[in-house]
Parts: sequence; structure tokens; C-alpha cells
Amino acid sequence: MPDAVPQHDLGQEPATSRRRFLAGALGGAGLAAAGIGFGGGFATAKATEPEQARPAPAEVAFYGPHQAGIATPAQDRLAFAAFDVTSTDKDALKALLATWAAAAAQLTKGLQVGAVDLSPDRPPIDTGEAVGLGPSNLTITVGFGPSLFDERFGLATYRPAALDPIPSLPGDYLQDDISNGDLCVQACADDPTVAFHVVRNFARLARGTAVMRWSQLGFGRTSSTSSTQETERNLLGFKDGTRNIKAENPADMNAYVWVDEETDQDWMKGGSYLVSRRIRMLIESWDTDYLADQENVFGRFKTSGAPLTGTDEFDTPDLSAKKDGKYVIDLNAHIRLAAPVTNGGEKILRRGYSYTDGIDQQTGLLDAGLFFIAFQKDPRKQFVPIQTRLGQHDNLNEYIRHTSSALFAVPPGLTGPGDYYGKSLLA
Amino acid sequence: MRRAVLPVTAAAALTLGLAACSSSGGAADGSTTSAASRSGEAAHALNVTITSADGCVPDTTNLAAGGITVKVTNQDATAVSEVEFLSGQRIVGEKENIPPGLGGQFAVQVPAGSYTLYCPGAAKENIPLTVTGAAQSTGNQDVAALLKTATEGYSQYVSTQVGYLVQAAETLNTALHGTDLAAARSAYMKARPYYEKIEPVAESFTVGSDNLDANIDARANDVPASQWTGFHPIEKGLFTAKSLKGLGSLGDGLVANVKKLQKLTTGLDYQATELANGAQELLDEVSSSKITGEEERYSHIDLLDFANNDEGAEQAFAQLQPALEKIDADLSKQISDAFTALSAATDKYRTTDNASGYVLYTQLTEADKKTLASAVKAVQEPLSKVSSKVANA
Repeated sequence: MPDAVPQHDLGQEPATSRRRFLAGALGGAGLAAAGIGFGGGFATAKATEPEQARPAPAEVAFYGPHQAGIATPAQDRLAFAAFDVTSTDKDALKALLATWAAAAAQLTKGLQVGAVDLSPDRPPIDTGEAVGLGPSNLTITVGFGPSLFDERFGLATYRPAALDPIPSLPGDYLQDDISNGDLCVQACADDPTVAFHVVRNFARLARGTAVMRWSQLGFGRTSSTSSTQETERNLLGFKDGTRNIKAENPADMNAYVWVDEETDQDWMKGGSYLVSRRIRMLIESWDTDYLADQENVFGRFKTSGAPLTGTDEFDTPDLSAKKDGKYVIDLNAHIRLAAPVTNGGEKILRRGYSYTDGIDQQTGLLDAGLFFIAFQKDPRKQFVPIQTRLGQHDNLNEYIRHTSSALFAVPPGLTGPGDYYGKSLLA
Repeated sequence: MRRAVLPVTAAAALTLGLAACSSSGGAADGSTTSAASRSGEAAHALNVTITSADGCVPDTTNLAAGGITVKVTNQDATAVSEVEFLSGQRIVGEKENIPPGLGGQFAVQVPAGSYTLYCPGAAKENIPLTVTGAAQSTGNQDVAALLKTATEGYSQYVSTQVGYLVQAAETLNTALHGTDLAAARSAYMKARPYYEKIEPVAESFTVGSDNLDANIDARANDVPASQWTGFHPIEKGLFTAKSLKGLGSLGDGLVANVKKLQKLTTGLDYQATELANGAQELLDEVSSSKITGEEERYSHIDLLDFANNDEGAEQAFAQLQPALEKIDADLSKQISDAFTALSAATDKYRTTDNASGYVLYTQLTEADKKTLASAVKAVQEPLSKVSSKVANA
């Protein structure tokens, strides 16, 4: 590490070295001064500018034709959870979904699920850790897994054909205990506590009716879902989602994301299908790969994000371009295999997050990667064929492992208070 | 210690309860006089509509003494999920889990007097209600009487269990002074359940450094090594060292401490809230130390403790159940069903292969532990609401 370089080594470094520059800035008296300066500056900022301690309240509308958290701009933090319904009582399921809907309406306004200080004799209704954090652009998105439509609640005939469980795909390394589920909750916010607070309280409200099956925290959105957002990078250091569907393009949203007349189930109109895949990245191996090969794997330049056939991030990749008789963008490059033109024109709306769950205790390697989330009209025509192609040939496969998979039908948005998730399905 | 503050809270709650009872009794007398002329108008049904804008809106505030059915509809108040019918501070009846889009009903049986309709979180939270007409005698069905029976019943239960504990500890002590390791192990397993059923009672006797629960049941890292006494150093000797050496004096100490517990608990009066909180603490124990295998780390008979913590919690709840049914029948059923499911989940791990009667903790898979933990949580969440409901009754 640069700032760990012993002082006596400095003389051997070239004058222009970054190492020398950093060490010099932090060396000797400068180090102490910097330390004091930081502490003092922080205290001053707190004392004189309390209003700037938190960003201005930012709220995403909860009610509407579509659930928020799909087309709305991707926030930076994710808390995702899948639940299994343990009750076999349809009324209990209804009460749960109505309770979640009411809680979501409160939380997305920056309010609590219920009073914290209600009575000294009872546990607070809301757990309280998000008090004062504001709405934080929170969105809450709820979906139903294929297993909800088994015999328990008599919903078998209401299962949309598009909610066909994802088949085993090439290169899957799936763990059952962190895959699938009857219900899902995707909470996205600017603040990680606000997002986590949702999952925690939803699990509590579900007690006795449903239990959490698995959960995943994510940081740093890896896709832009709006043309107003910068394209983020995934943990491999590459820009992700450059060619993603953007909310500002309603034609794409209608053609590829929102369920419409084509569905066999009316209750899904205005909804979408969520596919989640926990994709572990073998980061340590990737980090030892030379730059040109990394760029060859993706088909893009690492820093600029431009396709290898262009100079700007948003240049359309020229998949037919050749140099010295070879394709500039490799035949198995990630962007070629994922490109709409390779997939019969199909696209998906990606809305994933980076994750890290500490280290793999057996190998000492980081357990980190991408918690991939995608929304689409019909996974059978979109995610499944695209991932089948990627799973077979993608150059990236050497560095990634799909460890969990789940599919959920996300019903349309709620019309207002009194409406709840799946009301027309369950009523 | 958490438990140390409880008697004070319970005493305060009791005082409040008495004050509320006497004042509502006075009001009942007063309004009975004027009731005769108006009883024709008063209703036996109360329809409550909850809206975001207006809060809790009853269709009448003038009700007739006797049975009243309260029907609740939540239209669009996302902050409101329950409605309570209060007499002073006391909850006479209530309905929970009524988010917007859903409704429900509950019934109360009340004499004439002043009451309050309470909708926590609503734009208008408190609505005064007047009940008039002849007060029906509720006799021994009265909630306060049922709770008195509950606390007396629990006191009896604790005495019985502590009596068995003393006997079992003496049998264990005799074995520890002998030479038969197998007999001592068996005696250890027979003594454990009686303590695990009533542990919160022992926990409540913590005065300064005199901590009866620690003296009887501390784990190795709970106290300084030199002060480690009670069941678990005996367990370590029996199951890890596999020797009776030095266990005789620990056995003597255990007998002395359980006898001390017996003396302290004889004739002890309990508050209803203590039964509810005690049951809750037993399940907290299960969640925090049994499901993790920390309690019986040498013998791995954690499931035996698990089952007996559950049993103790269920017994405390069972005492409160008749009163709770009057206050909140839905909640009572929810908890009762959850206890039944928990017993069923635990019973799956019974086996005659082990002396403890259950599979060893080390034989449980992660999925087994998850299933058991979920079953415990399904009881804990509704059970946590009981204390406030019986607090002022």
C-alpha cells in the first residue's frame, strides 16, 4: 500500500512517482496537521451547518400504475429479501400483503410503520432505526414467486405462463437455500439503513404468516435506469448498463418491461417479472488478468466504457468490425452475447447492485460480486434465452459463478390506500 | 439486569389499574341513574370507519350496556392497524391487523360507564363513548378475576416445579458423591427441565452480587472462573472430563441454591404482566442460547432445555389465556396456535436413542435449526403484545 512505504525508501523513488507524492503529503508534520485538520473541520461543519448533515428529503411516489423500484431511477442501496409463506390460510396471506402495503406507504414517505413510543408496556410497533432519516428516495417492490401458486391458496389457475420457473442454465452453481421463495421484497434507497429497515420490519410484520428465506444487501447500483444517471461500474471495474433500457424511453418500457395485453392473467397487467441472480465474481483471479484481456472479455475499454470499436461510451458497438482478420469485439465477448441483435432483438431492464458478504472462510477469497436484478415482460423470451447464450459462451464465465436464482411476478402498482399487493388476485 | 426493574413497573401498572377501575365504577353508578330514559336509543352494535383524513369515526357514541359488537373498517389510514375499546387504561377488547382494505370485528361485554375508542396512529385517536343501561353482572367472568386466578395458578405451578427441582437436584448430588458416571449423567438430564421451565422466576432474584440464576445456571464465560458454580461446571465434568472428581462440592452448592430458590418462591405473589413477560423471556432464552447450542455445550442436550423453556412459556400463557380470550380473542388464538405448532415442530426431534429424549444439538442440520427458530419467532411476536393487554386489567 502506498502510504505504508517506510520513510527511508522514499529517496529511491523517482520524483514523479505517485507513491512518493502520497507518502510526502502524509509524511512528518504534514501527517499530524492533516489529522487535526480533519477532526476540526468535521466538528465545525457539524456545529455550523446542521441542515446539510443529511441530503434534502427526496421522495418517490408509492402509488401509481406501476410499482416503484422498476422504472424509477436506481438508488445506491439495496436490501432484498425472499419469504416463504408458512400459513396455509388465504386470509392470513391477504392480511400480510395489506399490512405490507400500508407499511410501504408509510415508509416511502419517511414515516414509521407505527408508533415507537406508543406504550411503555409493549414493544414499539416500528423498530425505530430509520427515525429521522427521511424518505431517502425509498422504493419498495413486492413480487410473487412461482411456488405461491401451488395448492396451498388455490391460486394454481392464476399462475401466469410467464412465471414458469427458470430452468437449469449452463454454468449454474445454485444454492437452494438462497434461491427462489414465495414472496420477495426489493427495498432500494439512498441510505442503507432506510433500505434495511424495510426488510427488518416486513419480516416482523410477517411473523407467524411468513418467514424470511434469504436476504441480500447491495451497495452501489451497477446499472443506470435513467438517461439522467451516470453509468456505474460493477466490481470488475467496467461500466455496466450502458445499453440498458432507460425509463425515458416509454416505447422500450412498453415493449420489453411492462406486462400488457399479451398476458394470460389480467391481474398482471401493468406488472413485470423480476429475475434475481447472485453472481459471485472471482475477483482475485480477475485482478491478475492483463488489461487487454479484461477488455476483450467485455468488448469495452475499461476506463472510458467505449466499445472496442468506438471512442465514446454510448457509441453503438460495431459487432461486424474486423482487424487483421479477427473480430474486434470477440465472438464470445460479453457485450456481443448480451446485445439485443444477438438475442432476436430482446432486451431486459437491468437494476442490479454490487454486494459483498465478507470472505469465503474456506479459501480466504472475497465473496463479492453482482446481485443481478432484471425486469421484463416475459422471462421465457428474455432472460432465459439471453442467459442460456451467456452461460454457454461468455468469456466472462471464467470469472463468475451464479450462486442463487429467483423469479417473481411483480403485480402492478397500487391505486391508493386500501389497495394492496395482489388484491385482484386474492379477493 | 432487566428483571430487576420489573416488579416496580408491575406495581405501577397495578396502581394505575386500580385507579382506573374505581373511577370507571363510579361513572357506571352515575350514568345508570340517567340510563333508563335513554336506553332505547343506545345500540349494541358499533361501526367504526377509519380514514386517513378523519381518523377513527364511530357511527354512534351512545351504546347499550351488555354485549357490544364492534365492526371496524379501515378505508385508507396506512398508519393505523388496530382499534382498542378502553375502560380507563384497561383494554376491554380490541382488533389488530386491520390495514387499509381490510376490516374485522370484536365483541365486548361492558357495564354502563364512560369508555374510549382508541385508534393508535389515527388523525383522531381517542373518541369518548358512553354506555348506558342496566349493567349486566359479569361475575367470575370478569377479566380482573380471571387474571387473579391466573397469577394464583402460576404461583402454584412454580411451587410444584421448584419442589421437583429440589428433589432432582438432591438425586443428582447423591450421584455426584458416588462412583456411577452414567447414573450421574442421567440425574443431570432429569434435573434440567424443572429449572428451565421456571428460569425467569429465578432470574428475578438478583440482589447486588447475589445472583441466584448465575449461581445455578451460569455458562463458563458468564462469570469469573473462580465463581463458576451450578449446573454447567457439573455438566462439563460429566460430559467432557467424564469424571465425577470434584463434582461433589458443586452438587452440594447446587442443592443449597435450589433450596434457597424454593424458600424465596414459596407463597410469592405474581402480577399478570410478570407471567406474560416471563413467558416472553423463556422464548428469548430459546432464541438466544438454545437454538445456538450454547447452553448445553458439553452434553448437547439443548433440545431438552428448548422443549422445557417452551413448556414453561406455554404454561404461563395458559394461565393468562382465559382472560386474554376476553380481551383479544384473535390474539389469544394466534398465540395458542403458534404454541401448538412449536410443540409439533419440537416433537419431531424426540428420540429414544438418547437419554435426554431428544436428538443431540450436534445432530441438527442448519435447516432444522432454521425451522425451529421460525417456530419460536412465530410465538414470540404475538406473545410480546400480551403484557400490555393484561397490564391494566
